[in-house]
Amino acid sequence: MKKDVIIRFVGSAGDGLVSIGILFSKILKKHNFNILGFRSYQSVIRGGYNTYQIRACNSKVLSVGEEADIIFLLNKKVAKLHKLTEGSKAMVIYDNDSFDLEDLDYPEGIKKLPIPLAAITKEISKLRILKNIVGFGAISQILGLDETLIKEVIFEQFGSKGEEVIFTNYEALEKGIKYAEDNNWPELWERHKYEKAQQMIISGNEALALGMLSAGLKFYSGYPMTPATSIVHYLTKYLPKLGIIVKQTEDEIAAIGMAVGASYCGARAATGTSGGGFSLMTEIIGMAGIEEIPLVVINSQRAGPSTGMATKTEQADLFQVYGASQGEFPKVIIAPYDVEDAFNVGIEALEIAEKYQVVVIVLMDLYLSESNSTVRKLDLQRKNKRFEILDNPPEDFKRYQFSENGISPRTIPGTKNGMFFTGSSERNEEGTSLASTLAGLPDTLPIRVKMVEKRMKKLDYLIQELEKPKLEGPENAEITIVSWGSTINIVREAVLHLEEKGITANHLHLKYLNPFHEEVVTKILQEAKTTLCVEQNYTGQLRDYIRMKTGVCIEHKLLRWDGEPIVTSQIVAKVKEVVKNE
Amino acid sequence: MSKEFNLTIKDYESGFFPTWCPGCGNFSQWRAIRQALVELEIPKEEVVLVSGIGCSSHMPNFLDVYGLQTVHGRGIPAATGIRLANPELTVLVYAGDGDIYGIGGNHFLHACRRNVDIITIVSNNFVYGLTTGQASATTPVGTYTRTTPRGSIENPLNPLTVAISAGATFVARGFSGDLKHLAQVLKKAIDHRGFAYVDVFSPCITFNKNQTFDYFRERVYKLDETEHDKEDYFAALDLSNQRFVKDKLPIGIFYQIEHKTTYEERDFSLNQGIIPAHASLDLTEEQIKTITEEFY
Repeated sequence: MKKDVIIRFVGSAGDGLVSIGILFSKILKKHNFNILGFRSYQSVIRGGYNTYQIRACNSKVLSVGEEADIIFLLNKKVAKLHKLTEGSKAMVIYDNDSFDLEDLDYPEGIKKLPIPLAAITKEISKLRILKNIVGFGAISQILGLDETLIKEVIFEQFGSKGEEVIFTNYEALEKGIKYAEDNNWPELWERHKYEKAQQMIISGNEALALGMLSAGLKFYSGYPMTPATSIVHYLTKYLPKLGIIVKQTEDEIAAIGMAVGASYCGARAATGTSGGGFSLMTEIIGMAGIEEIPLVVINSQRAGPSTGMATKTEQADLFQVYGASQGEFPKVIIAPYDVEDAFNVGIEALEIAEKYQVVVIVLMDLYLSESNSTVRKLDLQRKNKRFEILDNPPEDFKRYQFSENGISPRTIPGTKNGMFFTGSSERNEEGTSLASTLAGLPDTLPIRVKMVEKRMKKLDYLIQELEKPKLEGPENAEITIVSWGSTINIVREAVLHLEEKGITANHLHLKYLNPFHEEVVTKILQEAKTTLCVEQNYTGQLRDYIRMKTGVCIEHKLLRWDGEPIVTSQIVAKVKEVVKNE
Repeated sequence: MSKEFNLTIKDYESGFFPTWCPGCGNFSQWRAIRQALVELEIPKEEVVLVSGIGCSSHMPNFLDVYGLQTVHGRGIPAATGIRLANPELTVLVYAGDGDIYGIGGNHFLHACRRNVDIITIVSNNFVYGLTTGQASATTPVGTYTRTTPRGSIENPLNPLTVAISAGATFVARGFSGDLKHLAQVLKKAIDHRGFAYVDVFSPCITFNKNQTFDYFRERVYKLDETEHDKEDYFAALDLSNQRFVKDKLPIGIFYQIEHKTTYEERDFSLNQGIIPAHASLDLTEEQIKTITEEFY
């Protein structure tokens, strides 16, 4: 039986929505559901209107979905603010000890499920958090979940807090279940036995961090900025055991400066921020570029410009990162597309950076960074190897030696006879500055020309290693949808919905943005019947970028810049409109 | 068993003669740094000299050590990253007053409080030299420069006071006109455990007609010839402010404390003796278990 349910927790900052969301996701995960969870929130620490939406399916979850099936209102203030679309048949759970829904303007079709949470928990303990567990118990009745499996999750989560905590939680759960039973709450599907599962539930940022760790990350520096900060939070937790350096710095300039220093010294290093911090990092990105120091820079995009909407998603930094820093140097831009891919990119980014001695920019976005998704057990056990680092440099060692693929041998400080000078100015093969030490002698000009070529041609070799973009779906589709970053699965879901409606669509998703597979993309787009670019920005940056790189202009665009992720129905509606008019 | 150390000052030269103006104050620092390294018997490959942008920041071009020149003002962050990645290295920052006190001022403040064991040497000529003579953070009020043709109207920064207040554990001043003294100050700075900072009066013979060699010669006096107690925080602060009170300029060690723990000693990975630059890239099974448990 196909199972697909959307549960939305509605509360305020300070209600612990993320903990609630993650805990309930774990309960569902235990029952072998696939999960995608996403929090919509504001830039305040207390109060405001926040939601945490979970979608659970027994197939792959492609989006967090739109209309919720089950809504759990955590307080009266948000109950007043919560909007339900006309015709909604949602089950709305609320604490009728604290407020009533009678005076609120909710659609007729909804199913009100009051539960006296305050009274029930009072019988057990004063702990406010228990209200949520009672609620979980009641919801679990709707979903026909297994009490033993839920208790297992509770034990795993609170086990370290002692017996009393565990048993109080068990009691709360039981009372929730009993209340729902006694009051004949509806059941979504027939009860059956659930298989226990061993998936992970993890956010995009955490997966990215895990990827980097498994690829030998030794140094990470950052300055707090949403939505990149959770990478530092995660890495810092296990510091002594990991034996790596995680450094909070005075600003993003210092963050990237330290990462460059550590990498120059031989430690695999990365730094991360959002667009604003990335602006500050820009100058040193160019420095790492000319000095050929491996470096991974993560930019998790949020709605801009400037402070913009700090807690909202957007994909509007493509040109910022493409144009980051003056002059020309090889710059790799990779946009991971989902949580599992973020893990893979974490590995790939560090390896490309070290192998090619280049800057790799990982272009995340808030929706991906903060989505919590179930993934297969990630394999962190790797045999990493080092690239081009000499322990015993030859007598004629030249740090910037010209080579076929532009990659030169490298030494790190501490290596005997490996000393070299590197600076942010143009240089010769030994590293000597053309402008100052050699003071612009006329015969330095051809060296400059070759040195630029040496750096730039690394990308010609790198692109041969990168997986080519592929068209997903039927070849002769009525429309080709183009996307990048976190929207991939939303587009995939839209393609499935369209298929049900008899419209054939295929999908081109771009992960490697620089270097760019120009020929492949040109061919795919030229052969398409009509094309639509789906992006989270106002101008259609990927569309402009593709036009710049290939000369092909994607005909239609679907853009969203209100800060919330694009939803499947939007894409479906747009495609219908486009196909009808073709 | 100690290895025999037979390198000379000459061995630390890169083979390129400095491009500074003849008579520039940087020359004696070029010599003093090498002399300090030789006297401390630090092998060339264990030294990283990090600079920024400016005349003085050309320094790593002229030394046969690991030399890294950053963009303007960013030597301190890069040096911090280097040192944390490999605490076995001797990491020096060498740059000018425009670089460290001006554009890089924020990093200077935080390096002082952070107490990472790096050495920051500032060639202070009270002017921007490489951009042909503009006012800097240390240019005194009333000074005529190309950006202050009517005399500077900004108060100068007193960097030693700043460093002491911000928590630096070694604060000293040298003078390019006294090579012997300068080399000894640098030697003590390199030898210091924790963040060491040395401001060096280094006349710009082309763009600064006020703070000249003669100007300093008439005013400097050596602290080790006085009763100054370098462990006395308030005495050091007071002394660092004397420039504004009397027309006397002390050189030598203003402040030095050895008892404060360094960043490296506090860091949860480095204090286990780990050298991130050389550590294994692969996670152990136990590490994998620890870092993934929360996701199940």
